[in-house]
Amino acid sequence: MDLFLQYLANGVVIGSSYVLVAVGLTLIFGILGVVNFAHGEFYMLGAYAGVTAVTLFGMPLPLALAVVLVFSALLGFGAEAILHKPMKNRDATSSIISSFGLAVALQNAALLTLGPQPRLLKTEFSTIPIELGPVFMPLQRALIPVAMMVLIGALYLILRYTWTGRSLRSMSQHATVARLCGVRVERVAVVTFMVGAALAGVAGFLMSSVFMVHPIIGNMIVLKAFTVVILGGMGNILGAAVAGLLLGITESMTSAYLANGLRDIIGFVIVIAVLLFRPQGLFGKAFERS
Amino acid sequence: MAPFSRRQMLAIIGASVAAPSIVSAQDTSPIRIGGMLPLSGPGAIEGHQVVKGLEFAVKEANEKGGVFGRKIELVMEDDESNSTKGVTAVRRLIEREKVPFIIGTYPTAVVIAASKVAAEYKVPMLSGGSTGAGATDANTPGDPWFFRAWPDSNGQGEDTARAIVRQFKAKRVAILHDATNYGVTLADQVTKVVTAEGGEIVAKESYNTGEQDFSSMLTKLRTLKPDVVYIGGWAGDGATIVRQAAEVGLRAQFVGSGSMLSDDFITLAGPASEGFAVATLYESTTPNEFGRAFGERFKAVYKHEAGTLNALGFDSTNIAIEAMRRVGKPDSAAIQQMLKSGMKDFPIVQGPKGATAAFDAKGSVNFPMFIAIVKNGKRTLVES
Repeated sequence: MDLFLQYLANGVVIGSSYVLVAVGLTLIFGILGVVNFAHGEFYMLGAYAGVTAVTLFGMPLPLALAVVLVFSALLGFGAEAILHKPMKNRDATSSIISSFGLAVALQNAALLTLGPQPRLLKTEFSTIPIELGPVFMPLQRALIPVAMMVLIGALYLILRYTWTGRSLRSMSQHATVARLCGVRVERVAVVTFMVGAALAGVAGFLMSSVFMVHPIIGNMIVLKAFTVVILGGMGNILGAAVAGLLLGITESMTSAYLANGLRDIIGFVIVIAVLLFRPQGLFGKAFERS
Repeated sequence: MAPFSRRQMLAIIGASVAAPSIVSAQDTSPIRIGGMLPLSGPGAIEGHQVVKGLEFAVKEANEKGGVFGRKIELVMEDDESNSTKGVTAVRRLIEREKVPFIIGTYPTAVVIAASKVAAEYKVPMLSGGSTGAGATDANTPGDPWFFRAWPDSNGQGEDTARAIVRQFKAKRVAILHDATNYGVTLADQVTKVVTAEGGEIVAKESYNTGEQDFSSMLTKLRTLKPDVVYIGGWAGDGATIVRQAAEVGLRAQFVGSGSMLSDDFITLAGPASEGFAVATLYESTTPNEFGRAFGERFKAVYKHEAGTLNALGFDSTNIAIEAMRRVGKPDSAAIQQMLKSGMKDFPIVQGPKGATAAFDAKGSVNFPMFIAIVKNGKRTLVES
């Protein structure tokens, strides 16, 4: 039982990183209908920006976090100009292919400029252990779910109670009507990309103290995030949050009780099953278009 | 006197212009030797380490006056760890630069493609860091054109596995390996040797390269109480595992595969790398007196300790230059003959005291490897 709780805690930590990446992805998809395969690169570049800010320029962590936020938001701004602005009236496949291209370009650019050498953010938290009953982990790991909840909570409040949040939600419900009601559609698109990229970048930065940073870390995380988005229902933010944690826990349990080699298989098997039997996702609502 | 035709006239003029330079080319012009390594792209970090060994060997040979009174000039090609580029590089070195031999390269897959071409041209190649058994297995036994002056990766795996049982007295061994050919082969080999030596494999888990979270797997491993945990895979993953093992409180002797033989591994794994063991070909503290002397000369020039990659680049180049000197001319076929059988007395800097360039029929040199343990952030050799 003690071990079970430890595995559960491990799953929550890794699941939290999935949530942060998946929420941005689902936001961009839900509001703009863009399937963004370059989202993992926002995660990767956010991690690099943070590691560089801390190790090269010796910034304190809060300042580095601000740098990551600004840098990632700018990245999102640029991505919108490439993936959404020129493509929004075209077939959805154009932006999908284009996002693939952007992902490969960013990855290789990172490989050329930053090199294949893995990096790691060393913080003063790395050696402080936390014990909660039978569960044991270093403080930096324990902080990740906390940071996830704060960020998702803030995002939820913004979407619920601010003017920007309302316009984002109106866009996701019906773009044409939103435009007729005076929502500045172009601005909403840019803000969506910036928020999505910033979330992924912060996730990368948070995880860079726990996991190694190298140019291809975005590959797996974006696939995991897509799994989460599908499980949670496309465009459903709370669904993504719950599904992300579920995926993390499932993976942790798989490598604990089955075999570690199965952990990446299991998530994708579930996705295929969900797509076959419950295509709206575990938490999505099925609706008929008129 | 019969008048010369225009063609004869041109021939005479041409000859008279060319003759002095041909004569002098035979006398004092530098002998160009070929080097081929990944200097950009994947493997570039390793390539740049190996190339220092090549340059150092050439520099030392030239300081002693070169060979046959001629200076040696190293011509480098970048194969970018790419087989197609490697084959082109070999052709260019042989056809355009007319090199008598080639030192190269680091990735075994590129070696297999490139050495086939070099063998067709009958130009010997000496490994620039490749350890895969596939490279020497591709040689025709008894007539090798690719030479590696140290044991292949199988030898390394066996030495490591034997050390697990004999040196670390392990009864219960856990194996973690990545799902690549490299990791799976090593895991199978360690399983075989450990079981044969009387150890027990209590767990065998695979992971994908680049996997980030091993915490649950390692927590489970902790409950199995292994004496030794063997990791077969790339350095980055190995460092992640060692770090996370310390986080989950898994206390065991960690033993790694050859890829974890770098200072980067120690940097990435941090304090958790203390006590980590790995099989090695060369450390600057080696009991081999030639190795130690090389380490001192190298450090005087490059201001850092010589590592395995520097040492093997040096050995390959040094052996080839000596073989050429013994042959008496930059003749590829004669150098191959000399490498095959004539270098058994020539000491190398890698391996234990008394190791020499005694190539076997497959073009490999066999000697037991050292086991090094990380102490205070540095690999330290342990007596076997």
